[in-house]
Amino acid sequence: MTAPALARRVVASAPVVAVVGALALTTLVMLVVGVDPTLAYPALVRGAIFDGNLEYTIAAFVPTLGMALAFALPLRAGEFNLGGDGQLAIGGVTAAALALLVPLPPVVAVVLPLVAGALAGGLVAAIAAPFSTRLRIPAIVSTLLISAPAVSLASYLVRFPLAEPNTGIAQTPTLPDASHLPFMGGSGYVTIGLPLIVVLTGLWLHIDGRTVTGYEIRATGQNREFARYGGVKVDRVAALALAGGGAFAGLAGALIVLGPPYRFVDGALTAPGYTFTAVAAVLLASARPLAIPVAVALLTVLQVGGLGMEREAGVPSQLTQIVQGLIIVIVAVLATVRARRGVRG
Amino acid sequence: MTDLAAELIGVSKRFGPVLANDGIDLAVARGEVHAVVGENGAGKSTLMSILYGLHRPDAGEIRRDGQRITLRSPADAIRHGLGMVHQRFRLFPDLTVAENIVIGAEPVRRGHLDRAAAHRAVAALSEKYGLRADPSALVRGLPVGVRQRVEILRALYRDAEILILDEPTAVLTPGETDRLFEVLRTVAATGVSILLVTHKLSEVMAVGDRVTVLRQGRVTGRFTTRETNANELVNAMIGRSLTPPAPKRAQPPQENPVLEVRDLTIHDADGVARLSEVSLSVHPGEIVGLAGVAGSGQRELIDSVTGLRGAVPGVFLAGTPVLSGRDPRVAYVPEDRHGRATAPGMSVAENILMGAQRELGSRWSLPRAAVKKRAKDLVERFSISAASVDIPISALSGGNAQKAVLARELTRPSHVVVAEEPTQGVDVGVRERVHALLLAARDEGAAILLQSSELSELRELADRILVLYEGRVVAEFQGDAHETDIGRAMTGATE
Amino acid sequence: MNIFEWSFLSGVLTATAPVLLAALGGLLCQVAGVFNIALEGQLLWGAFTAVVVSDATGSAWAGVAGAIIATVLFSGLLSGASVRLKADPIVVAVGLNLLALGLTAFLMRQIFGSGGTYSSPDLAGLPTLAELGLDIPVLGPQSPLVPLALLLVVAMAWWLTRTRSGLRLRGAGQHLEAAEAVGLPVAAYRHGVTLAAGALCGLAGAQLSLGNVTLFSEGMSAGRGWIAVVAVMLSSVLPYRLLLACLLFGVAEAFGFRLQGAGLPQQAADAAPYVITLVALVLAAVWRRRSHEHA
Repeated sequence: MTAPALARRVVASAPVVAVVGALALTTLVMLVVGVDPTLAYPALVRGAIFDGNLEYTIAAFVPTLGMALAFALPLRAGEFNLGGDGQLAIGGVTAAALALLVPLPPVVAVVLPLVAGALAGGLVAAIAAPFSTRLRIPAIVSTLLISAPAVSLASYLVRFPLAEPNTGIAQTPTLPDASHLPFMGGSGYVTIGLPLIVVLTGLWLHIDGRTVTGYEIRATGQNREFARYGGVKVDRVAALALAGGGAFAGLAGALIVLGPPYRFVDGALTAPGYTFTAVAAVLLASARPLAIPVAVALLTVLQVGGLGMEREAGVPSQLTQIVQGLIIVIVAVLATVRARRGVRG
Repeated sequence: MTDLAAELIGVSKRFGPVLANDGIDLAVARGEVHAVVGENGAGKSTLMSILYGLHRPDAGEIRRDGQRITLRSPADAIRHGLGMVHQRFRLFPDLTVAENIVIGAEPVRRGHLDRAAAHRAVAALSEKYGLRADPSALVRGLPVGVRQRVEILRALYRDAEILILDEPTAVLTPGETDRLFEVLRTVAATGVSILLVTHKLSEVMAVGDRVTVLRQGRVTGRFTTRETNANELVNAMIGRSLTPPAPKRAQPPQENPVLEVRDLTIHDADGVARLSEVSLSVHPGEIVGLAGVAGSGQRELIDSVTGLRGAVPGVFLAGTPVLSGRDPRVAYVPEDRHGRATAPGMSVAENILMGAQRELGSRWSLPRAAVKKRAKDLVERFSISAASVDIPISALSGGNAQKAVLARELTRPSHVVVAEEPTQGVDVGVRERVHALLLAARDEGAAILLQSSELSELRELADRILVLYEGRVVAEFQGDAHETDIGRAMTGATE
Repeated sequence: MNIFEWSFLSGVLTATAPVLLAALGGLLCQVAGVFNIALEGQLLWGAFTAVVVSDATGSAWAGVAGAIIATVLFSGLLSGASVRLKADPIVVAVGLNLLALGLTAFLMRQIFGSGGTYSSPDLAGLPTLAELGLDIPVLGPQSPLVPLALLLVVAMAWWLTRTRSGLRLRGAGQHLEAAEAVGLPVAAYRHGVTLAAGALCGLAGAQLSLGNVTLFSEGMSAGRGWIAVVAVMLSSVLPYRLLLACLLFGVAEAFGFRLQGAGLPQQAADAAPYVITLVALVLAAVWRRRSHEHA
């Protein structure tokens, strides 16, 4: 392929069109409500990348990537996991409880809460599996319904049994030093959570593309009857994929809690909207697993930059949710428009 | 003044690279039964879809009573007095017979649906044409033959003057077929023209007045039934005479059976017996054919033999019970190519891999190179035309996709091969190739259970033919038995 | 605590009404073969636009009308993308739910100048039936939209079974090819029901923000749209069963509210409707399987 042809293909590719289209529509929203885009966008970029904010963006990249895998893994098996918030909160509260209540030696005090958080998140997600495989209730509904009480449960635990005494603030006490995630090279935000999640992403990419397990998960997602006919135990595969996704969400929650400010603050895990930023990123990557980290990076920049935009230009940061919603809709539309054009051509 | 009810003049239609209809002329007289015959893929269905407004022709025109008309949708076609009975019935399962018939043209009284009037109208039509059906019954529970009557009544209720029937006998027993033909004669006698699409020549000779033969999108013959014979039609249909039946084994195989089914009884969710005390055996080196009208228990039997129905008592492979899930000792070519046999979105290589993934890889690795190499070898060996093994299997033609399925299944290290409608929807060339592959597998010692709704296919391939009727094996024939005897057994008529 | 008090029954109806209105929209879509899971976003959008219009005009009824119009327009995005352009309705709905969340939170700050919760003396709530002179138990403290919701259940049951258009709609949802074969304009029906669901969600949103309370707070739909989706799944597309499913949710919410009053933590009250809905789903699915096996 020649360089100009390659460039044309990149420019016309669905993700690029979706992002550009969504930003154009968002600009339109800005103009309608009287926000000056020439102030807002530079503020967004500064808020995400410059003025020492890049570190903070990288720190936010970690849980968002974790949540992206939480959505992407079940999706490969054809299950929609929209219950990320509940899995995230339960993972976080489990890790916090373990670190607070059980005296652990160094290293173990980090590893064990992370593992426990992942297990707890996986367990919450796995509840949805029999709903989908036995009762024919779509995971998209059951994961969401389970998520709400799971968030409530975490909130209850943080406010009452695990609450920091005598402060009245809905948060746990600071975790013991041994459970603090070490920082990366002098940063005040980025912890070893970053290399950990990157390695795990690599591992997932390997499993997805180059192992029997990944093949069977994909076959289940592409055509469940075909996989069943081929001897794949599809119910088990779907449950495994959901649990695996939930484990990534639980791990993301544990990573947040074991990082600064080293405690579970009620609402702090779900308020930044990691779950749906991740959903938007995965759908933007449209069935190309390798593109997921790139899409996550892009949307994290938007998300974190949105906060900067709010500080600096006074534009509400919820604008980034609008962008994400539009991206999802446009990606969905482009997928079918292209498929139809492909058939005709 | 003309006595032509409808004419198609120079109709052409292209789908991608395929020219499905190529300048077709077809004239239908008032009150005649006009058969349109041709092999699978000859363009019959496309032509009828054009006449019913489902497709628009690229070229050519349609005339109705001598006037040129344009059909953009079935609604247009209905307005112009056309009615169609599709091969796969287009009925609403949870509406009643009467609702199914009147929907789209309902009698209304003071803003309400007039149910009484609907029932009266349906009863009157039933009476007039001898098509019995209970207006208040839900379609979901009706037998196939009755459903077809509902489809015909629906067209007649809309005052159809031209009735198109697409392969109407594919799902009927010979007895039901005879009744259908009586009805068609009655309907035609009232001045309604009937277009009967079929590939069964016996039906054409039995009920048709005139015949138009299609081959590869063109008209290759026009005949008056009384002045022609089956051989002439065959020549027009396939361009040469039929090949004689393939050579059968001289000696029945003597070894112990490798597949044995003993007194298998299966009940469905509603407690109705779908299979009753079925026993059969298949030996290495023989093809056992399974005949029967659709829904006679074939699905349940095959799902039991392959293990997909779970662990059922009474099915033995090489002397041990069948394994639940999918018994790896069974090679299985399913009928439903997109639903079960392939994952359309996955590549050719990944589709061919299914079932062998654990041999080629492990939990932690599955070398892509090995997967591709295996796929390439099979693509070559089974002469599948595919641009690459990395393209989605949905990009292959139906025949090539079917060959890919056969390649995957016939190369499995298996004890038994189960083939279900292995040549459905493929062209003559692929059909011959598929038959050759099955015969070769048999001659190498494979035990094959072959289910087909085409008696001619069973007679060409099978050493023995078992007939299923209402979940029971009601007869067994040698492979060269007469078609009428087998057909009679399919209706449950026992000597 | 006496759960047979009038005030408890009244609380049940109040909690049921928004879910029921949204679920009626979902049911209509289900009948026509459209899986609509954008109810949550539409409900939120309806609640927000009702407050904006009521605040600007000082008229609650203008707020209701505004919510209906605005939500029909919003659902036009769904019907345009998924019916006209044939995009995956699930993915589009996920995007629209997110869009509604972002748009309402963003516009709230732009229009009212702050996030969180907005209420104001300028904001006109819907009158209660008692205020309109109908001081009867249970219904008295409700807005007129509550009896309207109940009437709509009856109307929809009648319409679906007794009219020509109802029959055609049921057909269109049962078998696409069959509907096309008899010349039914299936795509038009699907556009129609999607937009009608928008109108009903507009009503539901108005009831939520101008009937149940008189304020708007971020994310105030709080999963009610998803509960409505589940109610549709539980209903076997029968309007009276839909009412029962929604009442179950209403009881759960009202009961949770009582529990909170009795000293239980707020989180238990928050979780109660979801847990009860989940249990109902499981019981219904198990029961359906049982009855199949023993039929």
